[in-house]
Order: sequence, then C-alpha cells, then structure tokens
Amino acid sequence: MFYVSVFFQYMAQYMKTKLQYRTDLLIEWLSDLMAQAVNLVFLLVVFGHTTLLHGWSRDEILFIYGFFLVPYAVFGAFFNLWDFNERYIVQGEMDRVLTRPLNSLFQIVLERMELESLLGAVPGLIIMLYAGSRLSLSFHWYDVFVFILLVIGGALIYAGIFISLATISFFADARTSIMPMMYNISSYGRYPIDIYHRVIRYILTWVLPFAFVGVYPAAYFLDKKEWYSYAFFTPVVGMVCFTVSVMLWNAGVRRYRGTGS
Amino acid sequence: MNAIEVEHLRKEFKVHKSRSGLVGAFRDLWTRRYTLVRAVDDISFAVKQGEIVGYIGENGAGKSTTIKMLTGILTPTSGRIVVNGMNPHKEREKFVRTIGVVFGQRSQLWWDIAVQESFRLLKKVYRVSDEQYRRHMGEVIDMLEIGPLLDKPVRKLSLGQRMRCELAAALIHNPPLLFLDEPTIGLDVLVKLNIRQFLKQLNERYGTTILLTTHDMSDIEALCERVIMLDEGKIIYDGSLERLKERWGQGKRVAFTFAEAVTSAFLQQLTEGLEVVWKKGEQPNVWVSHVPSGGVPEVVSRVAARCALQDIRIHEVPTEEIVRNIYEEGAVRG
Repeated sequence: MFYVSVFFQYMAQYMKTKLQYRTDLLIEWLSDLMAQAVNLVFLLVVFGHTTLLHGWSRDEILFIYGFFLVPYAVFGAFFNLWDFNERYIVQGEMDRVLTRPLNSLFQIVLERMELESLLGAVPGLIIMLYAGSRLSLSFHWYDVFVFILLVIGGALIYAGIFISLATISFFADARTSIMPMMYNISSYGRYPIDIYHRVIRYILTWVLPFAFVGVYPAAYFLDKKEWYSYAFFTPVVGMVCFTVSVMLWNAGVRRYRGTGS
Repeated sequence: MNAIEVEHLRKEFKVHKSRSGLVGAFRDLWTRRYTLVRAVDDISFAVKQGEIVGYIGENGAGKSTTIKMLTGILTPTSGRIVVNGMNPHKEREKFVRTIGVVFGQRSQLWWDIAVQESFRLLKKVYRVSDEQYRRHMGEVIDMLEIGPLLDKPVRKLSLGQRMRCELAAALIHNPPLLFLDEPTIGLDVLVKLNIRQFLKQLNERYGTTILLTTHDMSDIEALCERVIMLDEGKIIYDGSLERLKERWGQGKRVAFTFAEAVTSAFLQQLTEGLEVVWKKGEQPNVWVSHVPSGGVPEVVSRVAARCALQDIRIHEVPTEEIVRNIYEEGAVRG
C-alpha cells in the first residue's frame, strides 16, 4: 500500500514537472505523434505488398504489430534501464539509492519514469481497431480484462529481460553492448512465430520469450485457437520472468555492496 | 548509549591489475591478476550520542569506504558495526530511516523540480507525518535561511544555496545521526560559516550525532571536539583536537629574513642543542625555523647576534600543517 501511494506521488510530481514546461511538452507530444504517424504509414506501405505470409493475412500481421505496441509502451514508460550502468554505477547514483528506505529497483523505476511513452500505445490501439474491423473480429465484454492482463504480462516480460540485462552492470565493470542487440531481437516477437525456423521459435518462446509480447497474446484476439494455450500462458511467463529478474537484481545489489565498484 | 560502534572493521577490494601494452591487454583477457587492497584495515572506535566527530585523512585513506559501510551501502569484509543499535547492512530499509546522509559531491535533490517538491517526495519516502514535517522542517528551514529558495528549481540554485538545501533534505526525517561527506567542498567562506553554525545548532537542539569528513581543517576546528585520523586504512589518531594540537603543534615557527645569503649548515650549527629544524623559505634569504616551546627567545638572540637581519616573524603552527606533518610521518608518536 505504501509503495502504491509513493508511486502515485512520484507520478503526480512527474506530471507537474512536465506541465511546467508547456512549450517543451507540446513539442515533445507533437514530435512523438509525428514519429508514430510515420511509423504507421511505413507499416501500411510495407504490409501493403504482402498479402499472405505463412497463412497469416496482412491484417492479422498488422493486428499483431498493433498489439505489440501496447505492452511495449507500458514497458517504455516505467523501465528506462538502458542507461542504468552509466547513470547509477559509473556516476555513483546507486549509493544515494541505497541510503533511502525504499526497494532499490522500485526507486530506479520511479526516478526514470517516462510517462509520455504511454502515448505509443495510441497508434497501437488505432492499428488494432483498423485491422480488427477489417477482419470483422468479434469481442466480448471480458476481452477488455483479458487484454489488460495480456498487456501487463507482456510488459513484465520486457521488464524482466531488461532488468536482468541491467543487472550485468553489477558484475562486469565494462559497458556492454547487449542492450541494443536485445532491442533488435525483441522485434522478432512482433511477427507470426511460425514463419521462423524451429530453433528461433523455441528461443523466442522459452529463452527470450518475446513471442509472448506480440504473436501469442494477439492470437487470442485473432481467434487462432491453436495458439490459445500460449496466449493464456502470457501472464505466467511475465510473472516468472519478472520474478527471476528481481532475484538477479537482488543478487546484483548484494554484489555491489560487496565490491562498491 | 553509543550511536556508532565499530570493532575490527575491515574492507578489502579486489583490484584488477592490467598489464601494459597490447600484448598485456590480450593476456588480461585470459588470466587476470588481482591485487587485494585493504581500504579499511582493522579499525575500532565508538561515537557517543550527541558527539560531533571529524573523520579526516588524505584522499584514499579509507574515509569514504568507512562512511559507506556505516551507512549500509557497503558490506564489510569482516568486523562488527552497530549503528543506532542496528547492523547497517541487514534490514537496510529500516536502518536508513534513522540516519541522514549528505555526500558533498552528489545531489539528493531532483534537478528539475522546486526544492520544496523534492522535500515533499522525500517526506513521503521517509513516511514523515505532516505535523512532524511542519514542526521540524520549519525550524531547519529557518536556521538554514532557505525559505526564499523553496520554490526554485534546484538547477537554478548556486552551489552554496544547493548545499544548504541538501542539508535540509537529509534532515527531513529528523535522524539522530548525520553523516556528512565533505559538506563544505567548494563553498565560499560565508556559506561555510552558515553551515557550521547550523550544524552546531542542530547538535545542541536535537542532540544529533554528526560524523563528518572534510579536507578543510577550519571545519574541524569550528565543529569537532574529537577527531579520528585515518591513514592507509588505519586509525592513527583518535582523540580531542586540543590534545592533537598540544602534542604536535608545540612550539612556534620563526621566519628570519636575512640581509645576505646563509647556509643551512651554518644555521644548524648556530642553534645546536636547541632541537631546531631549519627549512628554506619561499623567498630568497628567508629561512624558517621550527622551535620547541620556550625556545624562541634563545634562538632569536643567537641568530640576531651573528647575522644581519631584515625581518623576523613568529607564527603558531596551523592545524593544517600539524595534520600534514602527521600524514608525512604516518603515525602519531607517543
């Protein structure tokens, strides 16, 4: 409960700060929206040329992409860990974090919050509506909750993987270039999984479960019954991923407090 | 009750030793050589509640490492630490609510937001009630004279203003123990005075125990009755500043400006039997003698009798120099 109220206070503060710089905020929104629009047009052009991919129609592929954008936006808003090493280890901010009576990971999430990333979910929703209406998908009232659950699951998977990567900073003193590589790999999850080779499919499901952020949960809404079990597995994978990453994080902090490097 | 108890505290770091050259770098890839560095080597001390203790030492002497262990950031290699009746590296979150920490070179405050907004966030994090906040922080803000700064964003503050706000931020939860790591670094004299006065008041009013590290001896002179001096990870002096001065600062420094060139051998011979140490001064023909207490008239009369003098100046030995002397010798005699 305490953590929830701290979270909301930080969030309120964040919004207040952003609102103070009106022009800045406006420009940021505009440029964000423009980037998203360009993205959208690009996608439509690219997928305009493909009609069928391994049994997936153009609209289905678009739908998956649209779905993927939502958990990705949630992840981007709360887990800005890409410069963790630079900011917290090299510059020593970690010391300050450790002198405050809150969980260290939670503090970093709060400090690095970037709520405007949530805007990235808007084009995702638009794409889903567009593709969904063309596919004349039917939705039930409870699908809203399923959707939220699957989005949270997907965001947790992303968070788990990137937290684990940030943890490397505690153990290795050199900067690693794994982060950008992982961003690349993560994009494979946005496409129908069965277009890939068996090995890649296995990796994207069980090793770096990015497929659970895009294809699998989207398959539920696309009424692809053969993927249902995977789709419902998404929140579980999310929880497991996140829990493991938190354990790794704690081990990392223990190590940091041992070496102070 | 003791605020801090430390027994046989030790902290070792493994430091990677890199070989030189490209070939060396390749070899480093396979086999790494480590050297064990003892940053803190078997130190023991206790700080009573309400004391202000100066923790001094050269760069790399182990001050920061000790502070980091006392604040629970680092875990010791061995030894026992009890701070505020707790073990700092167990129950971290409970423990840090009982201490305040200011790192002079690092900010506690949020860069973009107004100072009072930072305070509000910290108030939330430390679970301070409105009532408690108003009562305690009202006083702190008055004492530090930061009232007019509260609605300015931190990035618009000068260093001195920021530092005072940092201090206030560390005291939001009214901790009984305050750690200050170089709180006056880079500040001008007026701000330094303000901060010192504030710390004194804080100590008198709330009985706050303060442990501070600094390179500025005037901080120590103004605030601390007790100093702990560290060198190469070991405590080389622990006691009152007075005693340190008595033992080390005995005697005076007399600077002679001679009318013509003299040699050190000549001066040495002149003051034989008086335990005087001669050093060449910075200007030409200036020689500085370090004279044990009571020996000044004798030295002056002997020198004046034999040489033509232009000037004589007599000084007390400043604390800075006492400390430097101790570092140079590495240990306190006696």
